[in-house]
Amino acid sequence: MPDTGRAGPVSGRRRSIRRPWVGLLFVAPMLVLFLVFRFLPVVGAFLLSLTDYRLSGKWDFIALDNYTRLLSDSVFHQALLVTVTYTVIFVPLTVLLSLGTAVLLHQVVWKRGFFRGVFFLPYVTSIVLAAVIWKWIYDAQDGLLNAVLGLVNIGPIDFLSQSGTVLPSIAVTSAWKGFGYSMLILLAGLQAVPKSYLEAAMIDGAGTWQRFRYVTLPQLRPVLFFVLVIETIGAFQVFDAMYVMTGGGPVRSSYSLVYFLYDSGFKYFDFGYASAIGLVLFLIVLIVSLVQRRLVGRDD
Amino acid sequence: MVNMLERPPVRAVSETKAVGQRTAARLTLPTLLTLTAIVTIVPFAAMVMVAFAPPSGRTFPDALNPANFTLDNFSRVLSSSDIPRWTVNSLLYSLVSVVCVLLFASMAGYAFAKKKFPGREIMFWAFLATLMVPFQATLIPSYILVSRFDWVDSYWGLIVPTLANSQAVFLMRQFIMQLPDELFEAAEIDGASEWRIFTTIVVPLIRPVLATLGIFVFLWHWNDFLWPLVIGQSGNMQTLTVGLATLQTQAVPINQVMAGATITVVPSLLVFGLLQRYLTDSIAMSGLKA
Repeated sequence: MPDTGRAGPVSGRRRSIRRPWVGLLFVAPMLVLFLVFRFLPVVGAFLLSLTDYRLSGKWDFIALDNYTRLLSDSVFHQALLVTVTYTVIFVPLTVLLSLGTAVLLHQVVWKRGFFRGVFFLPYVTSIVLAAVIWKWIYDAQDGLLNAVLGLVNIGPIDFLSQSGTVLPSIAVTSAWKGFGYSMLILLAGLQAVPKSYLEAAMIDGAGTWQRFRYVTLPQLRPVLFFVLVIETIGAFQVFDAMYVMTGGGPVRSSYSLVYFLYDSGFKYFDFGYASAIGLVLFLIVLIVSLVQRRLVGRDD
Repeated sequence: MVNMLERPPVRAVSETKAVGQRTAARLTLPTLLTLTAIVTIVPFAAMVMVAFAPPSGRTFPDALNPANFTLDNFSRVLSSSDIPRWTVNSLLYSLVSVVCVLLFASMAGYAFAKKKFPGREIMFWAFLATLMVPFQATLIPSYILVSRFDWVDSYWGLIVPTLANSQAVFLMRQFIMQLPDELFEAAEIDGASEWRIFTTIVVPLIRPVLATLGIFVFLWHWNDFLWPLVIGQSGNMQTLTVGLATLQTQAVPINQVMAGATITVVPSLLVFGLLQRYLTDSIAMSGLKA
């Protein structure tokens, strides 16, 4: 051991410089876990995507074949289209819902803690639970929504069996489950807007909407961007709700990228191909984050 | 002075108008808030009502009549499915992960924040960089790795790979960095061992972060779906989320599915009820996402 006790007080910082193994020992358990189960799979995903790795463990190097195959695979095109469509529906829906509830909570002091709790409640449950409940809500024969619509003589509509309604229905489910998180972030952002700005605008004669539009919203911009990016990245990874509610149907109208990855890997055991899909997903997420960096700049 | 004289009548008008608007707002916004809250709660309420409704007959309007309430669905789903076993699996998956992640992440966070060692910066940035890679992108290599260890369909395979939690390390480091160095230096001068400093000085100081992070790690694992789906292939290794998903693809009556769903949501609700304030405050401050 390098620390041969020299007499006299030594500062902790200097001692730790002379004994680098102490820091390393403290990092060691997490470092090993990280290297084996996080870092290795990232490298592995890239390497696997260049092979035709099969269930038996045999593989050949096939360079970019998996990627060229993706380009001409109509199932991949469909999965990409479904994922983008879902994102386009889900992100505005969830951002408006969380912004709306955050503004309401910010304006109304009455029982704020209680209402905040209610809106946050679905967030602590699993998306599987949300999917199970909403699958029944949408049910054509026995579902709650059609029972309500029946009262005004609409329907019954088989929401999850029509290609036009299936993605919005799933997006509503995910938004219900998750909006509480973004709502809290936005509420914190609203509470951070300096009161003096709003008072100054009020003295200048700005109405409620004008104050919101020209004072609150610009102040909220960084927080809003954060929420937008988090929700977009989340939307691109959609899988659980589709797996439970529709199984990707009808006729792949709710078949997302991750669903395609899951099937390629665990239904067809085409591990190399599935890894290539994973890398495409990673690239999309990366681009979304980089675009956000560009747009928000150093506010991050 | 002229302005001062002109002002009062204008102000009086705008004030009465403002008072009128304020009373309108006082009624409109709380009403809107209450309606939104009701819509948010309805799916949960419906789940519970269907779970307690009689198994035969239509869910509506039967489910709405409290006189019909029965526990049949619960006893049936408990005897016909593996819910007790799934619950044990979910609890093991969540609780073991909470203990290990808290221990390893606080140790690593302490080292990254307060210790100097070769490669510290590179390691830390590597930890952070992997946060950018979605878990699904590495699903296949992770699965192959676990199968090479012969860990598929075992608790090892279920739990160990999910312990590598970069977000937890990052949070711990940020918090411990704010603690003054003098605290540790004084203990070192007194001759305390490194492990003793960690357990008697660091751990008590980071208790609030441990509590918050503990809740999040619990929820992450309790609600996790894709990894348990891939790893727990036999019925014995399924967690509650996976079990619930399989339950509703089989021909199990909806009342029983909802009874099962009600059972799975109880632990989340307990965590929520006991620790809501902790949870909501920490999201607002740190942006932690479960």
